[in-house]
Amino acid sequence: MKMKYMLVPLLLIGAAFVPLKSNVRAQDSPRRIEITAKQFSFEPSEITVKKGEPVVLVIKSADVAHGLRFRDLNLNVKIDKGGTAELPFTPDKTGDFVGQCSVFCGSGHGGMKMTMHVVN
Amino acid sequence: MCVLALAGLAGCKATAPGKFETGVLTFAKHHVFVGNKKEKNPLPDNHDTWNDGKEAFSHYCVACHGMDGQNTGVPFADRLSPPIPPLTSKDVQSYTDGQLKWILDYGIKPSGMPASKGILSDDDLWSIIVYIRHLPPAGSQGVPDIYTH
Repeated sequence: MKMKYMLVPLLLIGAAFVPLKSNVRAQDSPRRIEITAKQFSFEPSEITVKKGEPVVLVIKSADVAHGLRFRDLNLNVKIDKGGTAELPFTPDKTGDFVGQCSVFCGSGHGGMKMTMHVVN
Repeated sequence: MCVLALAGLAGCKATAPGKFETGVLTFAKHHVFVGNKKEKNPLPDNHDTWNDGKEAFSHYCVACHGMDGQNTGVPFADRLSPPIPPLTSKDVQSYTDGQLKWILDYGIKPSGMPASKGILSDDDLWSIIVYIRHLPPAGSQGVPDIYTH
């Protein structure tokens, strides 16, 4: 008898902790963009990302050490010879941003560039 | 013919130019040949840029200019014609930033100063100019590795 009277309140209390609809979403995984760095170019040479959307640039060196620097976005990463490096960021402004190789890699280093378009 | 040939050979020696030649060419470089006088350095003149410039300078500039930009440890600095000037000299420091960028981009003929446009990035070159404006004391950076072994 006592158990029956205890059960209903317990069920009601328990139900209060079961959400009807979950408001918690798993955080969206950042978008991963693979880039190959080689003497003396980045492939792809242009990418487009969205303002406010987390991105990870996954940069692989096909030969010597390279770097990728977007001065206007305060982003810089170095990639070891034959290695891979990741550059996570969330763009906070729109525009066209030029990235430059930031590790001296040979005679064409000065012209080794890529463009990132940040759109709404 | 022999006299002319000998004179020609003597003329090929890398001896230091005379005062007149130096004066004329210095004036010509500063006021006629070296362009881009008015362009300003887009990079901030701060310690980060200086460090970037020092790093970029170390790629190959040190082979002729030494690590301090004042020829320390460079065995042939005064054996070129014209000799390599210390980058602290008035001749160099009196160029504007834009002119220094022009020199780095295109080099100077007939000196051994090479054209670095496309080899080093614009950022590299502008940061080197900040380094040149604030060179460390002569001898404080040691000798380039290539000359120590």
